[in-house]
Amino acid sequence: MKGFDERWKDFPDYILGVTKEIWEDRNIAALKQYYADGIYVRSPASFVKGNRDVIGATMATLNEFPDRRLLGEDVIWCGTPETGMLSSHRLLSTATHLGEGVYGEATGKQVRYRILADCHAINNQINDEWLVRDQGAIVRQMGWDAKQYAVDLIEREGGPEACVQPFHPDLDEQGPYRGRGNDSVWGNAFAHILSEIMDANLAIIPQHYDRAVTGYFPGGQELSSTDGVDSFWMGLRAAFPSATFQIEHLMGREDPLMPARAALRWSLTGKHDGSGVQRVQRCTSWGFHTRSSALGGCVASTRFLMKQRSGSRLL
Amino acid sequence: MKGFSNRWKDFPDYILGITHEIWEERQLRTLDHYYAENIPMRFPSGLAQGNAGVIDGTMATLAEFPDRQLKGEDVIWSGDEEVGYLSSHRILTTGTHLGNGAFGEATGQKFIIRAIADCAAKEDTIYDEWLIRDVAGLAEQLGWDPQEYAAEMIRREGGPENCVRPFTPDQDVDGGYHGRGNDNIWGERYAGILTDIMDKRMETIRTRYDRACSLGYPRVMFDHGWDAAELFWLGLRSSFPTAKFEIHHQIGREDPMMPPRSAIRWSLTGTHSGFGTFGTPTGADVHIMGMSHAEFGPFGHPDGTIRREFALIDEVAVWKQILMHTGDI
Repeated sequence: MKGFDERWKDFPDYILGVTKEIWEDRNIAALKQYYADGIYVRSPASFVKGNRDVIGATMATLNEFPDRRLLGEDVIWCGTPETGMLSSHRLLSTATHLGEGVYGEATGKQVRYRILADCHAINNQINDEWLVRDQGAIVRQMGWDAKQYAVDLIEREGGPEACVQPFHPDLDEQGPYRGRGNDSVWGNAFAHILSEIMDANLAIIPQHYDRAVTGYFPGGQELSSTDGVDSFWMGLRAAFPSATFQIEHLMGREDPLMPARAALRWSLTGKHDGSGVQRVQRCTSWGFHTRSSALGGCVASTRFLMKQRSGSRLL
Repeated sequence: MKGFSNRWKDFPDYILGITHEIWEERQLRTLDHYYAENIPMRFPSGLAQGNAGVIDGTMATLAEFPDRQLKGEDVIWSGDEEVGYLSSHRILTTGTHLGNGAFGEATGQKFIIRAIADCAAKEDTIYDEWLIRDVAGLAEQLGWDPQEYAAEMIRREGGPENCVRPFTPDQDVDGGYHGRGNDNIWGERYAGILTDIMDKRMETIRTRYDRACSLGYPRVMFDHGWDAAELFWLGLRSSFPTAKFEIHHQIGREDPMMPPRSAIRWSLTGTHSGFGTFGTPTGADVHIMGMSHAEFGPFGHPDGTIRREFALIDEVAVWKQILMHTGDI
């Protein structure tokens, strides 16, 4: 791979290797090398620019969860070393809450949750990132109610006006990556399915999902069959029926030893005007997905939807 | 497919199609056609023979779980018209305990378990079968402790002397299928991995399973990673450290749109002589029927690693053999 250290045999190897080196092998200082100084990091929780605070934040997390492991489930990617590559990295993280930190006093609870990280890399360095962590799964496994946790977070951060603002397109800035993915048939097929679902055509689920599909959804839910898939998407869309659904990035791949698969990054932006009492001025959530003929995966953050919802109620 | 109705486009289509027709569309009498009259069905809980029993058994199950659904997760198969086809069919079974039956009075509890059925078919008919259901998972979801459920079965069936004997090789009969699978590389690799584990080379899990692997085991629908794989395989081997491990049937396949995968039917036969999943050693002689499916992927080893594995034994049938020996019911 041109521009990359020659110990990486391909891009997935680089993504899996760098993640392990930093988090599990504890070479946190390597973040200075692997993360560009001016990196853009977007998570549903916030928009952060620059790698200055990343090392401190990584150490704080490892202090709170010293045995944290990040198991790479898949890397779906596109691009070339010369023009830059975008990886959608799905991780299963396991950890024990052994130290005090953002989740309060150590509870000794074990947690397991998924993360999807879209990273743009060129010249051995990551300089643009989108990351969704299943916060709903984390806080529920620690004994919190997700909504209550969001309320508490807002209070700790100084109230609805002063608290850290969840990500919204208005806060976003254009980073170095301008790609939209590739034009694989699998990426397009998955985009079509999700667009239909978001257009309220839920009848497409039993047609285009295997009836024995396994779906991994926010809150750490592992749901079988098309009923499970329906319950997640229906629940999400019903809460935000008039929101705008947008596909931001779309990839598909066929690789040796792997089923055909796809990764999408998408957003819903609009009002919380369905099946609930609270009203929100604006709301964005992200999800990233992969799917194959017999395996489905998806993570979107529930916690930050909750934060915005509770925030507006407190307003 | 020679000898099969031309409505089936291939063998998996036949297996998925007749499963749906018989059990979900309630067409029980189609079993007269699809199942051979004297078919031997080997369950870990015992041997059954003949399609009449299948019809009655199906009715009893549907009476207890009227909304039962059988969703085919995979069909891994081998063979041809000559030797007969063999399909290893992994099924997700769901339902609600709405009627009285083998699990006692209706509880209204929902359940989801896996089952694997190995069926031999020729000329539109299934004539030989091996079937493992996660009975312990089902019992647990309906409020039973699996060991206590085994004790209850023994009591109900008239005590250790009179109760239905779980399946052991001496009960076996020849149903007509004599195939051993195929010689595909992925079947060989999975057989090698299982043989190494059973040979107590436990590092095999850390070298040959993807570190983020997805797993399904008895009582465990979804688990992940090396620790969970060790818990199942080590816990099992450790309860029966001197038992003989045998592979009876081995399939490997590479199909379009699917990762390379394998289906293996195996057994452990020997003495309950160690501490492990089945508690304090009792010296009971047991036979354990096992089936497992694995999917391979590219991460972590030049020969590929296991990304998904589903292994089943009927733990209730194992407990039953142990309790029949101790008489501690």
